[in-house]
Amino acid sequence: MRRSRRKRRKPVPVPVASMGDIAFLLIIFFLVCSEVSKDKSNLAVKLPFSQYVEKIKAQVVARVAVDESGEIWFDGARVDSATDVEWGIRALLTKTVSDDQRHVQFKCDSALPKEQFEPVLKAIAAAGGIIEAVGEKEQ
Amino acid sequence: MRKHSKEKKRGGGIPTDSFSDIAFLLIIYFLVATTLVKVSAVTADLPSGEKSAQTESDKTPIVNLRGAEIFLNDKKMTMDGLEERLAALELASKDPGDRVIMLESAKGTPYGNYFQALAAISANGGVVAIVEEGD
Repeated sequence: MRRSRRKRRKPVPVPVASMGDIAFLLIIFFLVCSEVSKDKSNLAVKLPFSQYVEKIKAQVVARVAVDESGEIWFDGARVDSATDVEWGIRALLTKTVSDDQRHVQFKCDSALPKEQFEPVLKAIAAAGGIIEAVGEKEQ
Repeated sequence: MRKHSKEKKRGGGIPTDSFSDIAFLLIIYFLVATTLVKVSAVTADLPSGEKSAQTESDKTPIVNLRGAEIFLNDKKMTMDGLEERLAALELASKDPGDRVIMLESAKGTPYGNYFQALAAISANGGVVAIVEEGD
């Protein structure tokens, strides 16, 4: 009598040789696609409240911030006056075609007096920017 | 005599078995560490500063901020009252030239109050025109 040979199932190995390549490609993808934030989110700014704030949908071309000491920051770099902000935004908006490309984010401390923030707002408006004034939702 | 066993020569290659583990750990680190920041804001398209006939019209509403007090056409009111009056104007349905609301603020007005007035005007379809000192 012939012994029936049991078919031995050979274990099929999963090829893992290229997993390292895949992993490094993913890392390179994330490194290339990610953008360094120019928001300067560590600024000492207490944001104002309003019930009308909404998540920004438009892409901003520049970020202007005025901290609690009155210092003006343009795209993460400190500038001396509102005039620098105006010229900086003018330079960015020279090649813009539509309104979607004119949005400028403005962040300011809520306790700052008018004399310190209003020139910056006027500078953004004079340069042709649409102001996205950052605030928090009023509960 | 005892044979001296030859020492096995070690190969000079770099062990690369754990490279994929390191790579995946780095990916997980970047995924965990990144923050998707969505900023909330109010959109305000202020005129570029050129004076126009519309801003000098007697019919153009003026919002005046004097410290914590709010005045609309020289009538004192609360923020809720201002929002109601602005909503009643139905600015969104008007021509762009008729949607101008002048915003004047006294010296020392804090940005928090200014922001609320700006937000209320913009949310109701108004175009904010900042009144310069001396006007």
